[in-house]
Amino acid sequence: MTKIWIKTLAAIILIGLLIAFPKVMGVLNTNIFIGFAIMALFAVSLNLMLGYTGLLSFGHAMFFGLGAYTTALSLKHIDNLPISMALLLGVLGAVVCAVIVSPLLVRLSGTAFSMLTLAFGQLMYIVCLKFREVTGGADGLGGFPVPDLKIPFTGGIDMTDPVNFYYFAITVLGGCILLIWRFTKTPIGSVMISIRDNDNRVDYLGFHVPSVKSLVFIVSGGFAGAAGAIYALFQNMVSTDGVLGLFTSFNPIIMTIIGGVSSFTGPIIGAGLLTILEEFLLRYTDRIALFNGLVLILMIKFAPGGIMGIWDGVYRKWFKRRTLS
Amino acid sequence: MDATTAMYVGQIMHGLAYGMLLFLVASGLTLIFGMMGILNLAHASFFMLSAYFCVSVIHMGGNFWLALLAAPIITAVIGVMVERFLLRGIHASGHIGELILTVGVMMVIMEAVQVFWGTDSHMISVPSALAGMVNIFGLQYPLYRLFVIFLALAILGLLVLFLFKTKMGMIIRAGVSDAEMVEALGINMPLVFMMVFAAGTWLAGVAGVAISPLLSVFPGMADQMGMDAFVVVVVGGFGSLLGAFVSALFFGLLNSFGIQFLPRIAPVLMFVFMVLVLSFKPKGLFGERE
Repeated sequence: MTKIWIKTLAAIILIGLLIAFPKVMGVLNTNIFIGFAIMALFAVSLNLMLGYTGLLSFGHAMFFGLGAYTTALSLKHIDNLPISMALLLGVLGAVVCAVIVSPLLVRLSGTAFSMLTLAFGQLMYIVCLKFREVTGGADGLGGFPVPDLKIPFTGGIDMTDPVNFYYFAITVLGGCILLIWRFTKTPIGSVMISIRDNDNRVDYLGFHVPSVKSLVFIVSGGFAGAAGAIYALFQNMVSTDGVLGLFTSFNPIIMTIIGGVSSFTGPIIGAGLLTILEEFLLRYTDRIALFNGLVLILMIKFAPGGIMGIWDGVYRKWFKRRTLS
Repeated sequence: MDATTAMYVGQIMHGLAYGMLLFLVASGLTLIFGMMGILNLAHASFFMLSAYFCVSVIHMGGNFWLALLAAPIITAVIGVMVERFLLRGIHASGHIGELILTVGVMMVIMEAVQVFWGTDSHMISVPSALAGMVNIFGLQYPLYRLFVIFLALAILGLLVLFLFKTKMGMIIRAGVSDAEMVEALGINMPLVFMMVFAAGTWLAGVAGVAISPLLSVFPGMADQMGMDAFVVVVVGGFGSLLGAFVSALFFGLLNSFGIQFLPRIAPVLMFVFMVLVLSFKPKGLFGERE
């Protein structure tokens, strides 16, 4: 009983903090926080594959980028499109792409999977770079209208206002993260983890491993698309290097590794730490990737479980009540 | 020779020169992958690193030939350190960790060259002995590109001799097909791994120095080579030297004719080709293992 109370209290405090954030921290930090939240959702969606299913994707930017481009393009070309529809179209774009490529991917695992995702990611990048009539190429696509959020019985809410956009973005991103959390608790979530641990045995148990992988891939891609769509609305600008480049795929991997692959909250913590590190380093140097790379190497080498892995170890050693002595 | 034929011959020669350099990079990548099961995403970074060492050697008063000798060796030493101190410890814990580690190494090298050598591009002049043009069947062709082709061919010859005629080469070929079994036969595999890694980075290093007079040395020089070498290895088949050779020449030619005739489609075609091969023949065209 007390546990539920603690959880409810923690949730209320968290929501309260999120609501108070823009009032207390100012517009600049609010925007940094939105950036963090976008990356957190992106990393959590990646971790659905990396941590839960044991599949390392080097092409996750493909979905992020498709979400961003679909949202941007639909806002540019369709007049009076509601913001929610633009968002849904972004997710739909990513999901359609995941559905198309998943049959080719799901029979692979390990290095071959990583390589094929890398190939697809690069293919998408090159296509968007070269067909600049549609995508704007390397210059990107900017200045598309960001419509007001229409809620029945009230007037539209101006989404170009950073604070209003913050509430909208946090609601969508937080909602998506909660949905992913629910997804990991479904029976499919358990099957995912068993595929990571021993896919042969899952096969013998009668599950069709490729279709489960395919489902995970599509869900993961869809949520990455949602993150990309919010990114497009937030930046009001999408460019190939910004949303489809190789480093867009690497960043959530780095965040997940830093935070911890084996836990749900790991990628969120990793995204937070990396955002703080980046903001801190930007005052002194432009060479952020150097530090990211070093942190990545050190983490893989000395703490493959990430921050959450370290925490688990400490917790087990010092705080857990020992039942057998 | 009329202008059209000359253009075609010129493009073929350009394609061959790029293809041979691509092969040097890809052969290291494919050997490392075949032996250790590691797809070394940092491989092209070693290629770039060597080009920067070449810049430094020339700045310190050395000539191009000294750079061609020294830079790849320094690169190989760094490669060995990466293998010994970073990759070896986590070899047992699976490929995902290794893949991500090579991403980290790639990022560090990419940024480190900008810290040490700056973001500007450095021009390397062609050594005076190779500066001229040469007449091939009436076509004026830069001697240096011809030299690149022959250098790569010579290294290919040595590589083939080494792999197929020496005991060490035999061990490496056996290791490519089953490293565990070879280790069980009492061969010090970690040492062999280290040597293969050294050889692979050395090959990438030679390509890096050889390409620098053609391309100049700049922080993004590894991007295209990295992706191209990656595609070559995937299409040719992992661990297959012959496959790497054939597909490197193919993509070298595709690259040079693509720029001429299909500037927008050619890079797309390359990845489409790779996706098709991986989807329907995951072992690659010449490969024996996945």
